[in-house]
Amino acid sequence: MKSSRPLLIKLIVIQILLGGCQAAPTTQQPPPETVAPATPTSNVSFMIFGDPAELQAYQNLVKAYDAKFPGEKIELIHIPDQADYRQRLAADFAAGTPADVVLINYRRFSVLAEKGALEPLGPYLEKSPLIHAADFYPEAILAFQWGRRGLMCIPQNISSLVVYYNKDLFQAAGLAYPSADWTWDDFLATAQALTLDQDGDGHTDQHGLGVEPTLQRVAPFIWQNGGDVVRIERSVWTRELALDDPLALEAIRWFVALQLTHHVVPNAVDEEAENSESRFLNGRVAMYLNSRRGVPTYRTITAFDWDVAPLPRKRWRRSGVLHADGYCLPAVSAHKAAAWQFIEFANSVEGQTLVARSGRTVPSLKVVAESPAFLDPAAKPLNSRVFLDTLPHLRMLPRVTNWPDIEEIANDEIERAFYGQADVVEAIHAAVVRTEEYFP
Amino acid sequence: MAAPQRARPWLLLTHRQALGLMLLPYLLGLVGLIIIPALLALGLAFTQYDGLSLPRWTGWRNFTLLFADLRFWAALKNSLFFAGVAVPLRGLGALALALLLNPPRQGAGFYRAAIYLPTVIPDVAYALIWLWVFNPVYGPLNLLLINLGLPAPVWLVDPDLAKPALSLMSLFQIGEGFVIVLAGLQTIPREVLESAALDGSNRWQVVWHVILPLLTPWLALLTVRDLIMSLQNTFTPALIMTGGGPYYATLFLNHLAYEEAFDGFRFGQGAAILLLIVVISAALLGGLWVLIQRWGDQSDD
Repeated sequence: MKSSRPLLIKLIVIQILLGGCQAAPTTQQPPPETVAPATPTSNVSFMIFGDPAELQAYQNLVKAYDAKFPGEKIELIHIPDQADYRQRLAADFAAGTPADVVLINYRRFSVLAEKGALEPLGPYLEKSPLIHAADFYPEAILAFQWGRRGLMCIPQNISSLVVYYNKDLFQAAGLAYPSADWTWDDFLATAQALTLDQDGDGHTDQHGLGVEPTLQRVAPFIWQNGGDVVRIERSVWTRELALDDPLALEAIRWFVALQLTHHVVPNAVDEEAENSESRFLNGRVAMYLNSRRGVPTYRTITAFDWDVAPLPRKRWRRSGVLHADGYCLPAVSAHKAAAWQFIEFANSVEGQTLVARSGRTVPSLKVVAESPAFLDPAAKPLNSRVFLDTLPHLRMLPRVTNWPDIEEIANDEIERAFYGQADVVEAIHAAVVRTEEYFP
Repeated sequence: MAAPQRARPWLLLTHRQALGLMLLPYLLGLVGLIIIPALLALGLAFTQYDGLSLPRWTGWRNFTLLFADLRFWAALKNSLFFAGVAVPLRGLGALALALLLNPPRQGAGFYRAAIYLPTVIPDVAYALIWLWVFNPVYGPLNLLLINLGLPAPVWLVDPDLAKPALSLMSLFQIGEGFVIVLAGLQTIPREVLESAALDGSNRWQVVWHVILPLLTPWLALLTVRDLIMSLQNTFTPALIMTGGGPYYATLFLNHLAYEEAFDGFRFGQGAAILLLIVVISAALLGGLWVLIQRWGDQSDD
């Protein structure tokens, strides 16, 4: 009995001390929300996701807006991780308290549009003296059209999947940089030449390629091979994935073989130890597939030179996959006029130029995309035009309301096949069967 | 005794009323934050509700959908695995450490504090630390194993090892159980132990025939609490360390409920899973109750 009280006191003291220290590990993480100092009432809140380098782009945008409209205040809410962002969005919408302006991907806005949770922005755009539908790339506008509700969000970008490559590693291997018309075979041969066991211990130290095993990443290769992601009949998306069609399956097999057969992509253990993007940043993955999103972070690389190349193609088809986020205005917002004013500014030439300079976007405004803000040869990547050359070949992923569920299940199955935990045919068949119930 | 109480009324309230008044804030919180939301969730479990439009009554549909989803069965299996493996091991660990550190000896205080320490680390930080510990290539655990010439498992990457790995890391957060058992041990009168020793019992016999029966209520409390917690606190490590993978090997019911509700806008489905968690908790506790009764009967003999 005697020692129990000192023990208790010790524990309490420790708990208090640690309680004080607890802030240390958590603050080293990116802060969950970066909120501008609160000022009364008509604050417009603006929620975004992204790495610290991406956050900087939006902070610049908000700063410019504040300078232009001194009375208005934009409260920037930053959720670092994209998955957390989606869950935060769902919770906020369900609670009836979403931010006044939210960035949403075109693959994910449809459920909100369908339920009337978003304010249609078509009428706002028509009346705007500052921005005009005709100034945007039509593909970007189309991505945010939702049936008879019309345009739901204003697209900030029209990005696509490209190959980021480490020029120094290409030079070291004596390889020519990728050409604009390189093929799947060239791509594989290049990746193989760049996959090295430098210390001869039987373990690969440098991989030729890094890629996330997801439906979004494999989709352009399926299209290039003449296959489809979702079965299309009479120009309508039907009720199932088409991944088990021979042409789609052939493309998926090729994609999976990059890891499983050719080992040019890190395996599951290496990926867990350090993910491919981090390996690319550290100069140990020579090529990395990503959209424009990576640029602000890759611009922080000082150890080597890098550039972008178009996706390789199978034969003549050059399909790419559209990546686009839009500024959306929740229907319940209490500050619609002020929120629109901010959306309008963000998508004006001035606003898009600011964000484009950070490298974050392929601007959806044609004039900005063709301007030095995006194409500046002094800012990496040198070959930004790759994104614009791909535009005519971009295809959208379906925008059915449950698409995020479908994609998630398909990703689980593709990942399983990619890392050799299941046979490709078995996994793809499972993806098709398991996603059926989510089609409308 | 009653007369002086009546002579000094507190704000002219009877003892009962005063008690009620003092309990009121707690009761309000209990009703507003737990009972009403729980009843709402119970109702939601039988509806289709996306948080954007009004809930629509669908009867048992959420449950039939769940039972047809392989993720649900994986999550159920994983949750039961965790409850069945981690809870007994945690209990045993707490008991063993408390027995070891109960007698006042040199440095006991330090060791007791050290055992409690991991419990006060925030869950997210704890998960991030273990994510590093379990790193298959750069993690200290595998570096140690390799240096000892032992095989280095790929922990969170291997579907067969991911759950045991999460159970293993939970074994270091047993500070609260440890304190409970320690407190229980210190209620055992020294004379009882001394007389048992005088009767010629060896140490093991004392533990088995004297200490354990006397500790039964404490161990029962500990296990009940841990069993309930085990269905809840797998959430943070799974979400942060594995995302439920590889291929649902560490997907637990609470995580699935969260994903259904907040990623899929299916709050009805999420509520249905929560309801099932309550039912499973009740069943497990019922089983535990039977076990404890038997143990009690046995020790009475």
